[in-house]
Amino acid sequence: MKCTFRNKRISAILSVVPAEEQRFDEECVNYGLTEGKAQKLKKMMGLDRHRIAPPGVCSSDLCLHGLRKLLADGVLKKEDIGALLFISQTPDYRLPPTSNVLQGKLGLSHEVVCMDINQGCAGFLVGLMEAFLLLDILTLPKVVLLNGDTCSKQLDKRNRVSYPLVGDAGSVTVVERTATENPIFMSLKMDGSRYQALLVPGGGYRMPSSPETLASHEAEPGVVRNLEQVHMDGAAIFNFTLEDVPPQIEEILSFSGNTRDSIDVFTLHQPNEFIVKQLAAKMRIPNEKIASNIVGTYGNCSSVSIPLDLAHNYGERLERGVARVCLSGFGVGLTWGAMVMDLGPLAVCRTVSYQPE
Amino acid sequence: MNVIDHNEFYVKLAEILDVDEIQPESILKDFDEWDSLAVLSVLAMADSKYGVTIRADEIRTVNTAADLAQLVAAKKN
Repeated sequence: MKCTFRNKRISAILSVVPAEEQRFDEECVNYGLTEGKAQKLKKMMGLDRHRIAPPGVCSSDLCLHGLRKLLADGVLKKEDIGALLFISQTPDYRLPPTSNVLQGKLGLSHEVVCMDINQGCAGFLVGLMEAFLLLDILTLPKVVLLNGDTCSKQLDKRNRVSYPLVGDAGSVTVVERTATENPIFMSLKMDGSRYQALLVPGGGYRMPSSPETLASHEAEPGVVRNLEQVHMDGAAIFNFTLEDVPPQIEEILSFSGNTRDSIDVFTLHQPNEFIVKQLAAKMRIPNEKIASNIVGTYGNCSSVSIPLDLAHNYGERLERGVARVCLSGFGVGLTWGAMVMDLGPLAVCRTVSYQPE
Repeated sequence: MNVIDHNEFYVKLAEILDVDEIQPESILKDFDEWDSLAVLSVLAMADSKYGVTIRADEIRTVNTAADLAQLVAAKKN
């Protein structure tokens, strides 16, 4: 579907990463690769460092830290919050919704709408859509969008296809009404017929948790996992990205009346540097308009990779002024979304580290 | 009819496999560098250079460099 939102804006984005940084060079020993192959993997995928949440730290803890900081810094007032959205594949519990738990921890009013959405790499876009829609019916002026994932907890350290890339992170995005029209253009597509390309098969109700679902095994050379961890068909995902993402970006450029030239910044979800560079080349996006350094700095942070890119690469610029951005997220579902909007000036656009007490 | 330049294809494949040259009858599995990263590189090359999408399961059915070139050419056709 395609749509246009009006009189809405993003006013602040704060990303939160665990303080603990791990290095590919030190983890290599887990992957059973020769030195030459490890270096090739590192170079091709753009690996270096990634952030991993320690045991006991959940996605919601990262989001809560960021939200508390925005409240403490006066960027956001509790009484302005009309809804709390939590977008994640790594919630605290199977029930209740994590957004309700966060509302309780923050002592927010009973009038605040709490909603969890199960989404991954397109989750920033799906979350924004829901936030914009809620602003049309809420009395209070702001929606807090929380994106968080600790996907490292869904992977074995000996899974050399996925673990080197993974990163844990959370983000808090404040979305509000504005008097100016500020059109925001969106395209969103879904293909559930390919749901198996990214799947945690066990631990739900289709295949309940059991000793069998928790038994680790080497599914293919270098891929140790159990049935409650992420199963990724890397080649299928790669083809999906190359086939389905560029036409959607063309579509949103045309729908919004833009061209490559009129867009200042392309912020794509960053699963690895190889894919981002392939996409940029295929779409002829100039290097200075697109970054691919998030995986090597923080890891593939699921729906938080877009906010991280905005903060890490364009934070000061977006705090000072406006940029016309094209956002694109794609992944689990399969789901792919794109947006074009004028973003900024933002009250906050930065990244902070979280160290549990 | 050959819709792709096979020699050019073999040069690109040799780059991916990190060898000086490759023969049509070369067996892909015999190369030390024929791994999942090489497969991804082939998928990327097929897309960017020839505008075709190859699936991983199709690559798994391929034995020699010539088979792979044929797979790409057939898609291109």
